[in-house]
Amino acid sequence: MKQHPLCTDRENSVTPLDFPIPAALKHEWAAIETRRCFLGRTGKVLGWAALAGLFGQMGLRSYGEGADLKSPSAEGRTALGLPHFAPKAKRAIYLFMSGGPPQMDLFDYKPNLASQFNQDMPDSIRGNQQLTGMTSGQAHFPIAPSHWPFGQHGKTGTWVSELLPYTARVVDDLTIIKTTNTDAINHEPAIMLMNTGNMNAGKPCLGAWLAYGLGSMNDNLPTFIVLQTKTNPKENNQPVSSRLWSSGFLSSEYAGVGLRSGVDPVLYLSDPAGVDREVRRNMLDTVEQINRQTLAEMGDPETNARIAQYEMAFRMQSSVPELVDLSKEPQSTWDLYGLEAKQPGTFAYNCLLARRMAERGVRFTQIYKRGWDVHDNAVGVLPLICQETDRGAYALVTDLKRRGLLDDTLVIWGGEFGRTVYSQGGLTQDNYGRDHHPRCFTTWMAGGAVRPGITYGETDDYSYNVVKDPVHVRDFNATILHCLGIDHNKFTYKFQGLDQKLTSPVPAHVVQGLLA
Amino acid sequence: MIEACKSTVAVRNPGIRVLLARWVWVLGLSALLVMLPFVVRLNGKAHADWLQFLGRLHPALVHLPIGMLVLLPFLELAGTTRPGLREAAGFVLRIVLATGAITLAFGILLAYGGGVTGTTVTRHMWGGIALLIELLVCVSVRSLWISGEFPRAYPACLAITLLTLAWTAHQGGLLTHGNDYLTRYMPEPLKRFFPSSSSASDAAYVGSAYTRNIRPILDAKCVACHGANKEQGELRLDFYELLMKGGKDGAVITPQIPDRSLLLQRVTLSPSDRHFMPAEGRMPLTADEIAVLRAWILAGASPTATSIPGIAVAAGNTDLPLQPVGDYGDLMDEIRQMQRSEGAKLVAVSAKPSDGLILRTVDVASKFDDAQLARFQRFAPFIVEAELGRTALSDASFETLAKFTNLRALHLEGTAVTGRALAKLSPLSQLTYLNLSGTKVTSGSLGPLKNMPNLHHVYLFDTPAEPASADANSTPRSPQ
Repeated sequence: MKQHPLCTDRENSVTPLDFPIPAALKHEWAAIETRRCFLGRTGKVLGWAALAGLFGQMGLRSYGEGADLKSPSAEGRTALGLPHFAPKAKRAIYLFMSGGPPQMDLFDYKPNLASQFNQDMPDSIRGNQQLTGMTSGQAHFPIAPSHWPFGQHGKTGTWVSELLPYTARVVDDLTIIKTTNTDAINHEPAIMLMNTGNMNAGKPCLGAWLAYGLGSMNDNLPTFIVLQTKTNPKENNQPVSSRLWSSGFLSSEYAGVGLRSGVDPVLYLSDPAGVDREVRRNMLDTVEQINRQTLAEMGDPETNARIAQYEMAFRMQSSVPELVDLSKEPQSTWDLYGLEAKQPGTFAYNCLLARRMAERGVRFTQIYKRGWDVHDNAVGVLPLICQETDRGAYALVTDLKRRGLLDDTLVIWGGEFGRTVYSQGGLTQDNYGRDHHPRCFTTWMAGGAVRPGITYGETDDYSYNVVKDPVHVRDFNATILHCLGIDHNKFTYKFQGLDQKLTSPVPAHVVQGLLA
Repeated sequence: MIEACKSTVAVRNPGIRVLLARWVWVLGLSALLVMLPFVVRLNGKAHADWLQFLGRLHPALVHLPIGMLVLLPFLELAGTTRPGLREAAGFVLRIVLATGAITLAFGILLAYGGGVTGTTVTRHMWGGIALLIELLVCVSVRSLWISGEFPRAYPACLAITLLTLAWTAHQGGLLTHGNDYLTRYMPEPLKRFFPSSSSASDAAYVGSAYTRNIRPILDAKCVACHGANKEQGELRLDFYELLMKGGKDGAVITPQIPDRSLLLQRVTLSPSDRHFMPAEGRMPLTADEIAVLRAWILAGASPTATSIPGIAVAAGNTDLPLQPVGDYGDLMDEIRQMQRSEGAKLVAVSAKPSDGLILRTVDVASKFDDAQLARFQRFAPFIVEAELGRTALSDASFETLAKFTNLRALHLEGTAVTGRALAKLSPLSQLTYLNLSGTKVTSGSLGPLKNMPNLHHVYLFDTPAEPASADANSTPRSPQ
């Protein structure tokens, strides 16, 4: 019977020796079959395997310097050498105006434009700026002066639009940056760049970096909390997604914890009937044991993150109800924030929560407000959205200030880009729309770490180009880190062979002019 | 075996006259060596190139005698059982002497030719001379030791020589690698025995333009040769006083007259000029740095002026520097335990220990009472911020708080304090922030706070003492 050459029946099998092949090959085959060759090769293979094992361990060790298999602690932070210097701000609250607020309708006062209504913006101003697909086909770029009058406010006489009557009352406490600029012209890349320092997803956001670097100030609430404001269907709401508060390549316990904007900030927070705290505790202890076994077996640092998250969830069962219980707030709170703040999910409510979280040691709170994307009907939509956000922002700054929290809190207000001075689509006597504009937009900060009552940077007559003191997103983020005691160049995390940092590998600078 | 050895030694035992003559030689040579530095005076001037060329062989040559000298005790020890090695030791000792002499000569040429001066250089040189003299003595004593007349003298001499070697070599190491080469990465427990040598004579000028703009330039570009280690041209630029004192060519800074300031002249010469500074191909000053130096000299070269006309002062913290707290290294174990504990925590303000600690009670606020606070008293001098908001503290806590003398910020919001004891806070001279919001403090009890000069931020929201704010809660006109 003819057998297959790979048949293991040694007695009757055909071997290569039977093939019509060169004698040298037959000799080699014969040599391979000897015991000496077998042992010799096996020995070498074991040696290589051992070597690979050793290298492998080293590789694992260098994979993530922070991804220690022990859970992080205050001591771990000390090992990171953070904060690099004594910080002025311990915590930050970021009011994120998603969609791109129009700077010339809010803060960047351009009185000269009134006389240029419906005239084309000079090409020399636009230069080589690439436009979005929404306006690149337009034959004309008619200038749309702001619909709202501006007034001077505060001791500093800062110009603020009538759209923001409340914010105007705290201008003396604000550090207004007119020259923030970004590289991206569309929402997703721009909002990623603003939050993570990179247009592509996968990098940790500012809050995750802070949670990783500075750690928690309390045991019972997450270090980094994200609050979303309920959307208004009349507004043009661009999506925001959890990549914006993702921890990227950092351990996922540093990701932002989103509280829901409904009545129940965390679903299934209370234990079901018949399960008391002790049962829950026992269950979690057992789960942790199993997780520890998995960690010992697999060595995946994400298991640690999972253990930490279970523990946090357990503690949040008691801390979150206390956090969102506004019944003990004095009347002065409602006088300040307005009665809107009693409805969960409104911007004012979120601002009030942000203050309460600041008191309870939450390191970083980010409040998202969508709807600023006014491509058309700006005159109809802007009053709505300003009304929703103006009082909350004002109340937050005022409340922090009177309670003595503003000294060591950094409040940041801003979107992902600005808007064009020229109208998108038709410009009529009483309405216009504005397209995305990356070259300059207005943001503000407040708090003990920044210089209050100043307006930083200048834009040209069309609020199109920066004339003086540009603040790139990277510089903006570097300055925020500086306020929190972090040198952005030293705060790195080794990943994919690169010392990754929030401000990307492109050089960034702390804007000294903004600092107190 | 030993007897045979002794018999040969006896034969070679020199007569008393030979011995005397040898000691005369030793003394004479030693005297010459001691004279050497006074003949070849290190005056900070560079000399002929060929001297420098030979001098620069010193570092290469120096390790030859060092190695052999260290070998010597091993040879001598092994020689007790193997006479061949003992004979070899004598030979090696003579080679050490010969190469040592050449090394010393080259070393002196290096310093003399290169115009190098400084305390470390001087120490290193005297160490070398002492070594050579000791080697001479060793050679002389060794023959006596061999003959068995003075059995202790030679080992003692050799031991002294080796110790001198270690010290001299260390000085040499400091010269080439810098003062803190050994101590920089030394483990903490060892470091304690080496007190930091940095002098703080410029401490009075913190925050001045000199400290922020001028010192960094000098430190980066000049101090390597004009500092504590090397005093080229007898000039040191590492402290203001020394900078103004100048070197052997006189003052290097003429206030208000940059063109007559030698320092500025030297750094602005053509790079090919032999007086150009920094010398030896080191990185020259940039145009900006020269402009800053010029502006500073023009403005009077003051150590305290905080701005230089026409020059943007290097950005930096414009605040008063934080008062550093003391060293809490001994308490570190307890502090770590506090950081791990479930209760109140002690957290470092920053990675710099002297920035102090924060006492953080947020997780246990409702249980944190006067007794608990008293337990933190031992850390009091190191705590710069006490977050005691919403705790169970009462007026009795002020007794303890008065001992937190480095406190900069004190949070007492939402506590039961009444303000009756506020006067007890007066020892807290660093205090800038005091939060009494939501307490029962009345305006009448705030008097003592007015005498605290640094206390700029006092918060009294929601207290009987709250100042009535104008239209704080009125509604502004809504937009159309």
